[in-house]
This record gives sequence, structure tokens and C-alpha cells, in this order.
Amino acid sequence: MAEPWVLIIVLCIVTFLSRLIGVEMMAGRVLNPTLRLYFNFVPIAIMVALIVDQIFITDNGSSSISLPILGGSIVAALMIKVTRSFLLTVVIGILVGLGIRYWLHI
Amino acid sequence: MLTNQQTVRTALLEALPLALAIAAYGLSYGVLATQAHWSLWSTILMSLLVFSGSVQLVIVAMFISGAALPSMLITAVLLNLRNLLYGAALADNLAPASRKYRWLLAFGVSDESFVLGNIRYQKYGADPLYFGVVAGTFYSAWVVASYIGAYLGDLIDPVRWGLDLAFPITFVALLIPALTQKPIIATAITALGMASLLHHMMPNSEFNLILTGIIAPLVGLYIARRSHHG
Repeated sequence: MAEPWVLIIVLCIVTFLSRLIGVEMMAGRVLNPTLRLYFNFVPIAIMVALIVDQIFITDNGSSSISLPILGGSIVAALMIKVTRSFLLTVVIGILVGLGIRYWLHI
Repeated sequence: MLTNQQTVRTALLEALPLALAIAAYGLSYGVLATQAHWSLWSTILMSLLVFSGSVQLVIVAMFISGAALPSMLITAVLLNLRNLLYGAALADNLAPASRKYRWLLAFGVSDESFVLGNIRYQKYGADPLYFGVVAGTFYSAWVVASYIGAYLGDLIDPVRWGLDLAFPITFVALLIPALTQKPIIATAITALGMASLLHHMMPNSEFNLILTGIIAPLVGLYIARRSHHG
């Protein structure tokens, strides 16, 4: 199986450049406030898209919803609101998802 | 004037709780990478060279779904955009360091080190040593946790233990506390609708992620500007 060396090296360069450019070149410049806001929102949108991507299962071009992932995610959303504990939320969310999986026998 | 020893001690103490959170995240990355059938070496190499939670988790997830290199690259660039912002804000803080050391410190720029470094700067002024210790602590936690995750992920059946659920659930746990202001909530809701619709229209397309990542924040921006002017 092919090892992802090329991918890792490219990501290393891209990520380091983004950090270095910030520190070395953006210093002393006032960033456009609109652009600053936009940068803040990008990770939120990508995180949501990734969660959605995990909830839908694609099989031969047709897609369906993964109930264990959906159930676990909803419980995790409620748990983090109530407990504010990251680790506890992740553990409980996974247990709920597992419970649904065994209950449905999938 | 604080001595170097005091600075190191304070930095370690303040970095520790966040290092634990980073380790929990690193563990998820390690397990996920074994699901992508990456070797232990590749998994750890990525943590050593890239050192970015969001980039690594997202790219491995895309790798598992069979995404092509260009789309993974565009996504990584999008995820890294905020580093420009962090670096710009940290530039004055790191300015007293020599150029070589500053490049090394730049490697340590992340969500967490940015937060701590910024708080320190506002209290005591520029302090590259503090930032270096904080970033070094986070780096160690990240690499060691990735190793443990990859090691564990190899030993156990991920589906049986529900570790395939860890990724979406970790992201939910990270996302929900961030939804504090109207524009952010608007971005998230738009992204939810857009990603679902795009998935329905083009299942399996990796462009869904990029399109959502570029367009949904515009709605957040619109809401932010409207409430600012209104």
C-alpha cells in the first residue's frame, strides 16, 4: 500500500508557510476587519461540513443517514452544553452511538 | 523583571490543562490514521512535521473517503488561513527573538498557543521564551498522543469499540461551545443546510467541503455586518 509521504510533505510546507507568513510578513499591518471575521468563520463551516459528511453514508450513489453517528452527535451536543466537559462528552457520545449500533444490529 | 526560570515554570503550568485537551485530540487523530491504513511511521511523521489538529484530522478523514490530492490541498490552505491572522497578532510578541528562533517559534503557532501567547503579551509584553515553552509542551503532547492513538488503533477493532464514532463526536464537542454569537451560528446553520444539500446533489464529491468552507462564512459575514450597522 502506498504511504502518504508526498501528502505529508506538501501539508508540512503549506501549513508552515501559513504560520511563517503570518509572523514575518503580516507584522505591523492592519488586517482588513472583514477578512479577519471571514477567517474566523471558515473553521466553523468546515467543521459542520465534516460532521454532515460523516452522518450521511453513501452506497452506490444513494445516500442514507447513519443513525449511530446522528444519535451520538445529538447526545454529544446536549452533553457539552450541560456538562461542558470535553472528555466526558466524547466518551458518552461514543457509548450512545455504540448502543444504537448494537440495538439496530448494524 | 521575571527570571527565565519563573517564565518557564509559569508557561508549563498554564500550558498543562490545554496540553491534556490536545492529547485527547491527538489520540483521536492517531486512531483515525490507523483507519486510513497508515503505518505507525506515517502517522507520527505527520504529527512531527505538520503539527495541526484540524488539518491532520480533516485530511485523514478526506483520505479515507478517497479524496484527490488537489482537493485535500485546497482544504488545508482554507484551514490554515487563520494562521495568517494568529501569526500577524503574535508578530510583536515574537519580535525580540533572533530570526532563526523566530522561524522555529512560528512552527508552534496554533489555536491554543495563540490564545496563551496573546494573554501573556497583553499582561507582560513580548515574551518569546514563554511562547516557546508553551508551544514545545503542546508539540510534545500532540506527538506522544498521536503515537499512543496509532498504537491503540492498531490493536483494537475500531468499529467494535466505536472509534469510528470518535471523529464526528469530537467535532460536535468542539463545535457546540464555539457557537456563541449570531454570525457564527448563522455560518454553522448555513453550512449544515449547504453541506446536506450538496451531499444530496453530489454524493462523494470532495468539493462539497471546499464549497461549504468558502460560501457559508459569507452568510456569517453578512449577519455580522448587518447587526453592526443596525
